[in-house]
Amino acid sequence: MSLHRADTLGGRAAVVGIGATEFSKDSGRSELKLAVEAVHTALDDAGLTPGDVDGLVTFTMDTSPEITVAQAAGIGELSFFSRVHYGGGAACATVQQAAMAVATGVAEVVVCYRAFNERSGHRFGSGLQSRQPSAEGVAMGWTMPPGLLTPASWVALHAARYLHAYGLSPDVFGHVAVADRRHAANNPAAYFHGRPITLADHAASRWIVEPLRLLDCCQETDGGQALVVTSVERARDLPHAPAVVAAAAQGAGRAQEAMTSFYRDDLTGLPELGVVARQLWRTSGLRPADIDTAVLYDHFTPFVLMQLEEFGFCARGEAAAFAADGGLEMGGRLPVNTHGGQLGEAYLHGMNGIAEGVRQLRGSSVNQVADAKAVLVTAGTGVPTSGLVLTADG
Amino acid sequence: MNLEAYRGLPSTVGGVGLDLVNAPMIRHWCEALGDANPAYAAAGPEAIAPPAMLQAWTMGPSGRREHFDALMRELDAAGYASVVATDCEQQYVRPLRIGERVLFDSDIESVSAEKHTTLGTGYFVTTRMDVRAYDEAAGEKPGDATPVGSHRFRILKFTPAERRERPQGVDAKALRPRPVVNRDNAGYWEGVAAGELRFQRCDDCAAARFPWLPGCNACGSDRWHAEAASGDGAVYSKVVVHHPLPPAFGTKPYPVALVELAEGVRIVANVLGAAPDEIGIGMPVRLGFQRHDDALLLPVFHPSGPDRLPPLRVPVTRTLIVAGALASRDYQEVHHDAEFARTKGAPDIFMNILTTNGLVGRYVTDWTGPDARVESIAIRLGVPAYPGDELQFSGEVTERGEDGRLMLAIRGTGRLGVHVSGTVKVRVKGASA
Repeated sequence: MSLHRADTLGGRAAVVGIGATEFSKDSGRSELKLAVEAVHTALDDAGLTPGDVDGLVTFTMDTSPEITVAQAAGIGELSFFSRVHYGGGAACATVQQAAMAVATGVAEVVVCYRAFNERSGHRFGSGLQSRQPSAEGVAMGWTMPPGLLTPASWVALHAARYLHAYGLSPDVFGHVAVADRRHAANNPAAYFHGRPITLADHAASRWIVEPLRLLDCCQETDGGQALVVTSVERARDLPHAPAVVAAAAQGAGRAQEAMTSFYRDDLTGLPELGVVARQLWRTSGLRPADIDTAVLYDHFTPFVLMQLEEFGFCARGEAAAFAADGGLEMGGRLPVNTHGGQLGEAYLHGMNGIAEGVRQLRGSSVNQVADAKAVLVTAGTGVPTSGLVLTADG
Repeated sequence: MNLEAYRGLPSTVGGVGLDLVNAPMIRHWCEALGDANPAYAAAGPEAIAPPAMLQAWTMGPSGRREHFDALMRELDAAGYASVVATDCEQQYVRPLRIGERVLFDSDIESVSAEKHTTLGTGYFVTTRMDVRAYDEAAGEKPGDATPVGSHRFRILKFTPAERRERPQGVDAKALRPRPVVNRDNAGYWEGVAAGELRFQRCDDCAAARFPWLPGCNACGSDRWHAEAASGDGAVYSKVVVHHPLPPAFGTKPYPVALVELAEGVRIVANVLGAAPDEIGIGMPVRLGFQRHDDALLLPVFHPSGPDRLPPLRVPVTRTLIVAGALASRDYQEVHHDAEFARTKGAPDIFMNILTTNGLVGRYVTDWTGPDARVESIAIRLGVPAYPGDELQFSGEVTERGEDGRLMLAIRGTGRLGVHVSGTVKVRVKGASA
């Protein structure tokens, strides 16, 4: 890891298995059960067994500990286990952790997983009531008494400034929602399969926190997703074409907060993703023009626009025009969230997006980008975050 | 019911004020409302009554009211037995002076179609009263009476809506989330309690910082001191929260702003005194404080600028509600009897509209000074004001006429949202105000 130089992780590991439960509003089973099912499905997909696994990685927010998943999944001894913090910002970093373990020989087969009943159980959007007086609690506590209590409210405060800075209306966010939902409409696994929306639907949807409407906010999902990571060498002996981790990066900006970075710079960008972007480009040797399709974290539409700018797919302030030109759709300049994203497929804290990146490289996406060789995947926005460049082998 | 038949019928005929305009009632009113305007306290013939007291002089049984009483009986019989005042519009032709007796007549101006409101279903009944007066103490006769003002009053006669599950008002569950306080930021909250908004400044590199942290992000130094913000700032960003609406934030979408202070640091806070749509990015604001409950005082901001009145904070005490009701001669139980108020679906007693009206008048004349002449007050009530709340009055000059006439937009905000909004026409001497 380096802020200034290419790292040596690129090209050492690959995602060889992906597996998910169904995406629902009420799974009817425990989060642990969802995690174990996803792990088994991913191992089956990889052509591996629980006995092959010696590493597990998840999120600090996950309620299913590595050791408990191992117990219930038939996994034996573990030589590597790790958890990554900051909510959805952890998604791509779980793969980075796994790749580092594999590249250094600390582990041979690492499974990354995330499972929750975010719809039928604890819902993030229900609003904070209180926080413990830890450093983390205090950081969140500045915004609670005046009434910013939900992720939508924190994102909206950034979004309002972005719109103001570039003289835009909230309708521009609709292009992201329309593209996501159009892709989801083709995806049988998506919750919104067969249900595309129009810009008019977006503009008519109710306010959640102005300037965010209902259709700017991702859905809430029960489900689990797992990913199997091993060395590129071993990957070549497994059933599917490997999705090589060409680069993996984490990033936190200066004066970074988790969702409430209101006190720094001009609120129109995502500096933590700038850190991620620089390292991904440097290590992979690729440029924006080399990316065939991207999975950009979309818990809320405004941050998709800012990511396009932060990664250099367009200039500052031009993402709305980029999206309005159909740039995010199939055949556009950068097809984005071809699985339907978290707005359309499922909200799995970004882990389902990594699986879509793998499918694009395998040629098995429901919205397949022809001859996709390089995919960018990002993790949670507005928080310390992470990203991946996945490429086809060879 | 043929309620339309009541339109235009007399409401009160031949009303005569029970008491002459007198110093004790004026003093009671001023004490209850905290109005220290010397124009009302003067001894002798130059003393005038607070204009917002207009209706108080007409209260009590007087005059013939058969049509109005019949209308009320008809609505009561049909199940619309609850009543709440919603609007009060008063025009003041001239001040009332001690020793005058008022005469008044009123008409039923309109009865609305059936309306569905958040309180329940019912009918708005609007009456309009003309008030005249003559100087009885100086020997004038009723025939000498000259116009004093008029008073339009709107009430809602309604059947209460099903009691909502949502706790209201003083319910403990309706409290706002508490600040999160530890050793690293205790100094900030001590500042708030002392009426200051304190940020930190690095002793080594002089960088101002907020939120509070034990070290400087610019240079890493752990040496710092606290400074009180000047209080001037501007809205840097702003949202309006529609969903979810926790009970402590009322029942209407509420705005939250990110304010950049003159010293360069930013803070998330509420902006009072402007409708959500009126709070724009870049709007200049000025620091204030708002009490939400016994344990929670928060910094807030008010729109600032040459056309803005300085805000006024009025704690809504039980004493203010009861004393204000009595000073306006309003003996409705919901304004003094908490148990009775609860049987009517309210969590506690609440402020009557004439007290609110009086506070609006006081707010304006506190700003203009005693030489100003209030020519009209027109208010509409929003959420009720219950004991333990705090009203924040703010105002803006919306029109400056020749001859010193100002049109003011006034708003009083409590912790559940806007309690009162309205307009006041006032004539100031000179252009000082």
